[in-house]
This record gives sequence, structure tokens and C-alpha cells, in this order.
Amino acid sequence: MFNKNYCLITGASEGFGKALALDCASRKMNLILVALPGPELYYLANFIERNYKVDVVAIEKDLAVEENCILVFKEVQDLKLPVNMLINNAGLGSTMLFSEGKMSFYQKQIKLNITATTLLTHLFLDMLKANGPSYILNVGSLCSYFFLPKKQVYGATKSFLYFFSKSLRREIKNDGIHVSVVCPGSMNTNLSVTMLIKSSGWLSRLSVMNPEEVAPVAIDGLLKGKEVIIPGRINKLFLLMDKLLPAFVKKMITNNQMKNIKSVTAIESKQKTILFTEKHNSLTA
Amino acid sequence: MKILLTGATGYIGHQLALTLAGLGNCVHILVRNLNSPNIPRHDNIIVFAGDITDRSSIRNAMRGCIQVFHTAALVKIFAKDSSEFYKVNVEGTANLLAEALDLGIKKFIYTSSCGVMGSSVLKPKSENDPRTTTINKDYEFTKFLAENLVKEYVHKGLFTVIVSLSKVYGPGIETHPISVNRIINNFIKGKITIIPNPGTLETNYCFIDDVVEGHILAMAKGIGGEKYILGGENISYINLFQTIRSLSGSKAKLIRAPKFLTQTWTVLQWLQYKLTSKEPFATLKAVQHIFCNKTFSSAKAIRQLGYHPTPLKEALNQTIQFLKKQEHV
Repeated sequence: MFNKNYCLITGASEGFGKALALDCASRKMNLILVALPGPELYYLANFIERNYKVDVVAIEKDLAVEENCILVFKEVQDLKLPVNMLINNAGLGSTMLFSEGKMSFYQKQIKLNITATTLLTHLFLDMLKANGPSYILNVGSLCSYFFLPKKQVYGATKSFLYFFSKSLRREIKNDGIHVSVVCPGSMNTNLSVTMLIKSSGWLSRLSVMNPEEVAPVAIDGLLKGKEVIIPGRINKLFLLMDKLLPAFVKKMITNNQMKNIKSVTAIESKQKTILFTEKHNSLTA
Repeated sequence: MKILLTGATGYIGHQLALTLAGLGNCVHILVRNLNSPNIPRHDNIIVFAGDITDRSSIRNAMRGCIQVFHTAALVKIFAKDSSEFYKVNVEGTANLLAEALDLGIKKFIYTSSCGVMGSSVLKPKSENDPRTTTINKDYEFTKFLAENLVKEYVHKGLFTVIVSLSKVYGPGIETHPISVNRIINNFIKGKITIIPNPGTLETNYCFIDDVVEGHILAMAKGIGGEKYILGGENISYINLFQTIRSLSGSKAKLIRAPKFLTQTWTVLQWLQYKLTSKEPFATLKAVQHIFCNKTFSSAKAIRQLGYHPTPLKEALNQTIQFLKKQEHV
């Protein structure tokens, strides 16, 4: 079924995107991997081709720039690659007070999480229809169910994806396109997130999963045509508790769990590690 | 040439120090315990008391040196406090790098582990291949963080090279509770040996003499900022023990343990630890690492450094002779 078709994954060079790419490759899907410019994307593409015997095309593009979404589509069209699975995974995370974030950061976050997903879905719609049965997976977040402090804009962008997926699903079901949204809890996706998770409350730490555990659940759910995919028992329990517990208790829990979390954004991750080492050096100097 | 070597009381550092000294270099070694029986003794070796977590002791030992081999690390499956790993493997490395830059060290070789690169899928892994699973062991995570530091220092102007070792065996001192040497030794003495099921899982093993040679080659020919896998042959557990059997004539029984059983055993070990504080022999996380292929390719080191690994049979034979001889001492 997937022999000639391609699965396009955005934000594929690290974290959850990389895990999704590896999982799809293990299911013998050909891949189009889109990620920020950098050698990691090519290392991954090369690794997958050698180890999973599938075709992999790497496209270096920053999807926070709108024109790049169109360029990605054009490149796929020019290469005549039939796409029957679109995974909108690229996104920018953050955990910080609203006042702490720069305007440019929020703009970028909204462009990447919302605009790029919307544009790519629109651009690829006809191709997906032509290659049906097709699949669209949007990567939401468990936090779109909970109104957590320090997650205002991020949570709102993920709520957009949640709404967008569920609504679009009803619209294009008859075209042979299945739309799913996966809502993972915290994942150990990159260094700064891993460090952040170590500083969070026990309840949120308990729910942390590795991307390679979440990816197969997401793809299984997508292929089964599930509307919303919640990976992990603890995360499912969170949702159940959310339905059962009175509002004031929930408020207490979320506040308590988020209290000690240090503010961090994904965009800072690289700088953070450098800062961390520089700070360290000055301490020992 | 004056060279600073850390980790001289460890298995690899010990052999490397003796080889470097034998080649006529003046080797400064930094050791925590001056009474350690593992200190390599040679006229060209100068012993400095100190610790890589103490910067002034590093400076004292590094002064006047041109090159640094940093082989010291906390290598354990388990530590009560995971910050121990961080302190030695990350902060210790940061201390050495900072001093090396400050004192104008010409070349810095960092000894890392193939464990940082994780398990392999179909083909042996090479230096640029990505990990397929999240790092969950403290040792590997801290070695990964240290590698990042070593790479960063290239941009600050320090010439650094990383060498990544697979499972090392061969003549030398014993410093690790479950070393390959110890497992081979038990097997040739006829003790029951447990291997993971399926026994076809493959792992890479490298010979100590090759590792020492690889370090010296990396220092001489390594390109700054690069990483080189110093491995040996990839071989399945079954074939490894069959080879050892044919070389040693051992009649030891091999038992294939399924993953589930091994996991249960580690849970029991952990419970024992909680009750009696006896450090566990293995952990649940470590078991996951045993039940997967860990094959690596040394092609880059062979191509760029002229690395020349000893054939497995020959290296195993030397190891078996060494282990048998040790018995009589």
C-alpha cells in the first residue's frame, strides 16, 4: 500500500518528528523529511535509507516562513512524489509567563504551529485526495485540554490544531482522507526539554514519555482512523480526572505542578546549553 | 613530549599511560589516591595527586604539557546519586577543557563511548548516525553532554578529537564489575554463562591494544572537531562464545535468558537494594540495552587514521592466554 507513496513529515530532524520518521520507515513507508537547515536532517535521511530500505527525500526549509511552505509543495510536485500521508509535526514549544516572551517569538510560534499546518494541509489536499486512502496527522498536545499557566500561546496554538483537525475530519472524510490529532503529554524531545522535565512536579514527571514510545501509538491510531489519539495511560487518566474533579481542585493541582517550572522556550534550547556551560565555567573559574 | 593523561588508574588509561611512557613521552598522570594499586609505574610517568573535579589540581598537573588524553570517567551501571555522574563526567570534562584552553594545550583527545550513539538497526552504526531511542542511562547521558562540550571547545580554539570505544577487552587491569574480560574468564573456567536470547544479537568488541593504538593515532592524525569510532569486529553472542570455546576448550554451559526473565531479575535486585543497600548488579534500563544489536563501524578511523584492528580470533587468543596466566600468579 505504501510502496510507491510517500509520507511527508515536518520538523523531522529531531525529537518527536525523528521518532515518527523512524516508526514510519519501520512500516516500509517512503519518506519526505522537512526540517530546518542543518546536517542532522541528512544524517537521519541517510541512516533511514540504509537501515530501512525505503526511499527518503530531505527538504531543508524553515516553515515559519510562509513562502517556504509553498516551496516545499512545489519541490514535491516537481519530484513527482505521490504523498498519501501528511504529518504536521513542526512546532515551537514554550513554557514561560506571557510577559517574559518577546513578540517576535510569539509571531514565530503562531506562524509555525498554526499557519504552516494550515497552509501545508491546504496545499497537499488535492494530492492526498488523488492518492487516497490518505492520512493527515496533526501534532497537538495534551495541554490543549488544560489551561496551564506559562502555556498560554503554545496551548492556544495546539487548541487550534485540535479544533482544525476535528472539524476538517468531518469535511473531507468522504474524500478518503482520514484526519487525526495526536495529543501527547510531555516528551523527552530535546536537551532543554529533558532538563525542564527534571525541574517539574512529580505528577507531570510521571506522565513523561519518550518520543519512540509515543510515535508507534500515534501512527497506529492514525492508520486505524482514530479521531483523537492520547498516548499513555497516565495521560488518559489525566483527562478522566479532568472530567471528574471539581474545578477548584484542578486549579490547585495545575498551579502546584507548574509552580517550580523554570521558563524555557525551544528556540532557546541551543543557547541554553551554551549558556549553561558558560555559566558553569564562570562558576569554576 | 609532555602529555597529561587522566584516568590512569582505569583499564584503558593504565595501558595507554604505559604505552605512551614506553614510547619515550613524559606522562603526567592525575590520580585521586596515591596508594592505588592500579597506578601505572614507569620511569617516564610522573604521578600528580588530584581530581578532575578540582581545577587547581588539574592546572598543577597540566602545566608544561602539550597534549591531553582525557580518559577519566565515572563508569558504573548504577549510582545512588545520579549527580555523581554529572560531577565527574560533565563538570570534570568542563574543568579539563577550560584549563587546556587556558594553558594553550595543542591537542586534546576525549575518550567517549559508543553507548552515546545507541543501538543499531540493520547496518553497523557510524559516527554521524542518529540515535533511535532516547538516552536513559546516566552514564551515557553525561558522556553525551561531555561530548557536546568537547565539540564546543573546537569553536573556542582548542583542537579536540573524540574517540568512541565499543566493548573493550584484552590484557590489563580489572576495574569494572562486569567487564568483557571477566565474562570471558568465567566462561573459560567452566562457569555457567548467561547470554541474552536470541543469541544472534550482535555487539561490537574492541581489543585493548587496538584502543591504545587508536588513541595515539587520533592524537597524531585526527582531524580537529571530529569523532572516530575505535571498534573491532561485530559478532553475535553465540558466535563469540563458540569462538572462545574453540580457542580455550571450555566446556562451560551457555544459557539463553529471555528478556522478561532478565527484567524480573533486575527488579528483584532493585528490591534487594532498597532493603539491604546492596548495589544492584544490573538495572532494568541496562537490560534494554543488552537486548538489542550494538554494531559499529570503524571505517572512518581505518580510512582517516590508519587504524588497524586486530582480527578477533587473534585478540581473543591473546586475552585467553593472559587470563589463564593470571590465574597462576
